[in-house]
Amino acid sequence: MATPVIMPRQGQSVESCIIAKWHKQKGDQVNVGDQLFTYETDKATFDEEATVAGILLDVFFEEGDDVECLLNVCVIGEAGEDTSAFRPAGDDDAAPAEAAAPIAAAPIAEATVAKVSDTAKENVFISPRAKNHAEKLGVDVRFAEGTGPNGRVIERDVEALAQSGAAFTKAAQAEAAGSTDKFEGTGIGGRVTTGDLKKPVAAAVAEAMSAQEGVAYTDTPLTNIRKVISKSMHNSLSTTAQLTLNTSFDATEIMAYRKKLKANSEKLGLGNITLNDIVLYAVSRTLLAHEDLNAHMLDDKMRRFSHVNLGVAVDTPRGLMVPTIFCSELKSLAEISAETKELAGACQGGTISPDLLTGGSFTVTNLGSFGIESFTPVLNAPQTGILGVDTIVQRAKEVDGEIKFYPAMGLSLTFDHRAVDGAPAAKFLQDLKTNLENFSVLLAK
Amino acid sequence: MPKSQFMDPDVLRQPGFVEFQPIPVNQYNKTIKEESANFSKDDFLRIYRDMAIIREFEQMLLDIKTKSEYQGISYNNPGPAHLSLGQEASAVGQAYLLDKNDYIFGSHRSHGEILAKGLSCIHKLDDKELLTDMETFFDGATYRVVEGKEKDKGNVKDLAIDFLLYGALAEIFARETGFNKGLGGSMHAFFTPFGIYPNNAIVGGSATIAMGSSMFKRINGKPGIVVSNVGDASMGRGPVWEALNMGSMDQITQLWEEGHNKGLPIIFNFFNNLYGMGGQTVGETMAYNILARVGAGVSPTQLHAERVDGYNPLAVIDAMRRKIDILNNQGGPVLMDTLTYRMTGHSPSDAMTYRTKEEVEKWAEHDVLVNFEKKLVDAKVAKADDFAAMREDIRERMIKIVKLAIDDTVSPRMDLSKNPNVIADLMFSNQKIKSMEEGRTPDVLMPKEENPRVQKIAKKERFGFDKNGKPVSKNKVYQLRDGLFEAIIDKFYEDPTLVAYGEDNRDWGGAYAVYQGLTESLPYHRFFNAPISESAIAGSAVGYAMSGGRVIAEIMYCDFIGCCGDEIFNQLAKWQSMSAGVLKMPVIIRVSVGSKYGAQHSQDWTSMCAHVPGLKVAFPVTPYDAKGIMNSALNGTDPVVIFESQRIYDVGEQFHEGGVPEGYYEVEIGEPDVKKEGKDLTILTIGATLYRALDAAKELEEKYGISCEVIDARSIVPFNYEKVLESVKKTGRIVLASDACTRGSALNTIAQNITEMAFDYLDAPPVVVGAQNWITPCYELDADFFPQKDWIIDAVHEKILPLPGYVATHNFTETEQIRKNKMGV
Repeated sequence: MATPVIMPRQGQSVESCIIAKWHKQKGDQVNVGDQLFTYETDKATFDEEATVAGILLDVFFEEGDDVECLLNVCVIGEAGEDTSAFRPAGDDDAAPAEAAAPIAAAPIAEATVAKVSDTAKENVFISPRAKNHAEKLGVDVRFAEGTGPNGRVIERDVEALAQSGAAFTKAAQAEAAGSTDKFEGTGIGGRVTTGDLKKPVAAAVAEAMSAQEGVAYTDTPLTNIRKVISKSMHNSLSTTAQLTLNTSFDATEIMAYRKKLKANSEKLGLGNITLNDIVLYAVSRTLLAHEDLNAHMLDDKMRRFSHVNLGVAVDTPRGLMVPTIFCSELKSLAEISAETKELAGACQGGTISPDLLTGGSFTVTNLGSFGIESFTPVLNAPQTGILGVDTIVQRAKEVDGEIKFYPAMGLSLTFDHRAVDGAPAAKFLQDLKTNLENFSVLLAK
Repeated sequence: MPKSQFMDPDVLRQPGFVEFQPIPVNQYNKTIKEESANFSKDDFLRIYRDMAIIREFEQMLLDIKTKSEYQGISYNNPGPAHLSLGQEASAVGQAYLLDKNDYIFGSHRSHGEILAKGLSCIHKLDDKELLTDMETFFDGATYRVVEGKEKDKGNVKDLAIDFLLYGALAEIFARETGFNKGLGGSMHAFFTPFGIYPNNAIVGGSATIAMGSSMFKRINGKPGIVVSNVGDASMGRGPVWEALNMGSMDQITQLWEEGHNKGLPIIFNFFNNLYGMGGQTVGETMAYNILARVGAGVSPTQLHAERVDGYNPLAVIDAMRRKIDILNNQGGPVLMDTLTYRMTGHSPSDAMTYRTKEEVEKWAEHDVLVNFEKKLVDAKVAKADDFAAMREDIRERMIKIVKLAIDDTVSPRMDLSKNPNVIADLMFSNQKIKSMEEGRTPDVLMPKEENPRVQKIAKKERFGFDKNGKPVSKNKVYQLRDGLFEAIIDKFYEDPTLVAYGEDNRDWGGAYAVYQGLTESLPYHRFFNAPISESAIAGSAVGYAMSGGRVIAEIMYCDFIGCCGDEIFNQLAKWQSMSAGVLKMPVIIRVSVGSKYGAQHSQDWTSMCAHVPGLKVAFPVTPYDAKGIMNSALNGTDPVVIFESQRIYDVGEQFHEGGVPEGYYEVEIGEPDVKKEGKDLTILTIGATLYRALDAAKELEEKYGISCEVIDARSIVPFNYEKVLESVKKTGRIVLASDACTRGSALNTIAQNITEMAFDYLDAPPVVVGAQNWITPCYELDADFFPQKDWIIDAVHEKILPLPGYVATHNFTETEQIRKNKMGV
């Protein structure tokens, strides 16, 4: 019986993998353990081995294809077996041709030939003439259905698109460039105006409402990365004994320090250092004295790290990512600041090296910029601690009998009570608070 | 196939023997004393001087080539130098009796011949003529460099010698002041005012050309003789044999009319220096042993062949005197085997691995200068001191000439950065000359109106459709062949120099009846059958035209261009530009593209001709265009290869309103023509494919609503893109089709240019539909080889504009294109 081989999901956040190389070709004999293909995630390269023997009956993707995880990549079986049932659904490019009735002297842009696409395409192969024509008519060629050789968008397709009313005014075109929606034109000659751009939202809602008979929700399948995050968060909460301690510290000194850096930005070139960088620096210096919080809680052992490998939570369009600043205790404030920015940029750009997404011994996460005063960070298991950085609020304190207001920055430490007791965790927070309040002293150490 | 000559079996089957006359070998044996009656002291000394000038000239070049220095003057000459040291006596002896009306044609080793002929002419011309020649040549550009620098101030002959040496050397050094503006160079230098015609870098290349030149003299009654100077090894080349045979063909004396029926005034001279590069012609590469023997195989006259001792100038002069007499009296051709020896290698890079030092030294003992001087001293004509003084004088002159020729300020090279078109402008002469010899009445046999073909054509319908739009029957319609004929016969009555020849032209009327009726109007010497010698046909046309005439040479099938590749591609195409515009080349080569005749008789070689710079290439396919393009070509001064399709000789005019005009008109070569207007797709064709394209256009229009514009290229070189671009900008789509094999087809060049110039207007890449890259199979499989109507529609469907409901029968997909190219088909 034919057996499909799927694209494995390697690692938690992998949505798809690229086939780097085929080691077997369609029709080859395959034995158990033979390398079938090499594929790459954004982190690493893997080889897929055959787990059954037989003939490689069909191959659905080519080298260089980006294949969604869990899709069938190929089929192994006995010669002659039908593999069509295993072909991934989205791969069906053999759209049935329009049954063409004999056409007598039909115009060249005959509607029965040229069609209009309902969705915008990213790569449009288009003839120079069609492209110029589209610009003249103001139609968005991404909606054109290419009926030329190899699906090329040719002049008649642009003509058909224009006739379907998909012409834009210049201004609307610029505004709609990022959109993949389709708009109804009410301008001259049926052109879509900027006003029309707003309509589809309401129209789409109404359409959706009526289509679903008043049920105002939609079910959206989770993306792979969301599934991964969901699983790891649940795992963290269900397998550890975590609790959170909250405190705050007087941020007067670090704010003054940062102000000084900013003021001397031109001279020093350190104007980009943020309060969060300062917290990271303080954590890196404080943590070494609290080794149970710079550790992993493994099933039957504690792994204490000799360096502070600081995880920094980064929000990206793809989801939460936590890159690591290795040996942070050896790095200067400027170095930590620069590295944090570089890592965050790489995460957001999707270019982060997989090696930098593992190996953290402690994590710092910051919701302060959203105005959060205190929260419960979830442990990045098996790490034993995670520090949440909160926003700054004005607090009052008594100094020499007077009430004074000072900027107070909140700190929320979640720790695994299986590894650390409350007192040592609180001691860490206390040390950290002292270091931050006397930051210039810390810098001198 | 003249009916007047009866091939009588009673005579032809009689037994007998072919007998030969003894062939003289080095029979000259006169002493100086005996020759004193024929030569004055000055004559003797001038012979010596001319030889010494050649010796010094070649020695100078040898020094410059091998040592980059001559007499303390440094110069590097990267160009070729095939020197004739040792051959001075044969060159001077040959030139001694020749004047400016006698034409010499040479080889790659002809410096000595140019100088000898020039010096001989300078001696014979009076001062006034000399000055005119020098002052008018390139508006005096060459003359101005040497003007006033003669040693003997005011001595025009002395000045003319400077002029000759300078013009030749500046040419060799690629200077714009050279005889051919530096475009000819060492192997092609020439100077027509002195009767010095092109030397030729193709071995034996001059034989057919010189023969054509002698035809010009004989047919048009021009004075002078022609000498074809080629080497002993060139006897191994087919075209040389073709020239000997065609130049001797029986019809000239037996069929040509009174006044033209003397054998051609040509000496086929072979400067026999015993080696063709390193190949030893006697004992190794040839079989003749004594080259003069070959003449006996050509004709009953044995071509009056003899071997002459080319190491004795007086022996050569003696032979020339006798040979010129023959040419002037009973007529030629004459064959001379002038024995000589080159003392240096083929070129300076020759290591001379093929001959011994002893052999060279032995010939050095026979040195022409040393021995001639000794004889003259012994005969007390002059003293040794006189010769030494003469040599010193020559050296002094040579130093002066070299200094001038290498001086960039007086002898600049062509400046292509300043004037980028300087060579481009010389590729074609683009003149319109009605008659190459105004004022002379053309030799014809009857008034044109009485010509039976002219009368027949007068009764024909000049448009292909009648009033009701129905096609006129083949018998009544004015056909494409009539269009060609009409243009040709008109020019025969206008230009007395026009001749037409080729295989089966006379009587038969050409294999495809274009010439039918011409026989009645034209005397034999203007219209005749050539031997089956394509090289001689094309080569003689080149010589005929460069001597001042106009020719239509027919090569029956264009496949036979393969037999005259050199003459068409290297000679016909190049002499206008290599002469820097001195020579004109009004030659029409008519070729037909076969049909039904398989692999060696059915090819369209337009692309091959279009590839070689210097040829105009046209392919008219309607009667109107045929007459108009032929008129244009006949009235021009450039070589035009006119392709004709055997498939459509009988086609009537379907496009030109009112039919083919009876009067004179021209269709400019290079202007494509819109045969049918349309707006959605352009189809550009070369040749008879036009008619298939029109069928395709009809179907595309009727079945698929695609309006087609059909353009007939009419010419390939030159080609005006404007009309085509205008069409493509309108339609956005173009298919190009012709019967030429697709690979390397000129259509690809046109397609590429369209892509570059109309890219932004294109809705699909231009698609070329050519013939398969195979042999042309038998006629029954024609439809699988040549582009057909449905190929064009398939190409449109698969590569340009998919047609709803259409199913292609031919595979024009990319995969197929890659596969075929991988296979080399």
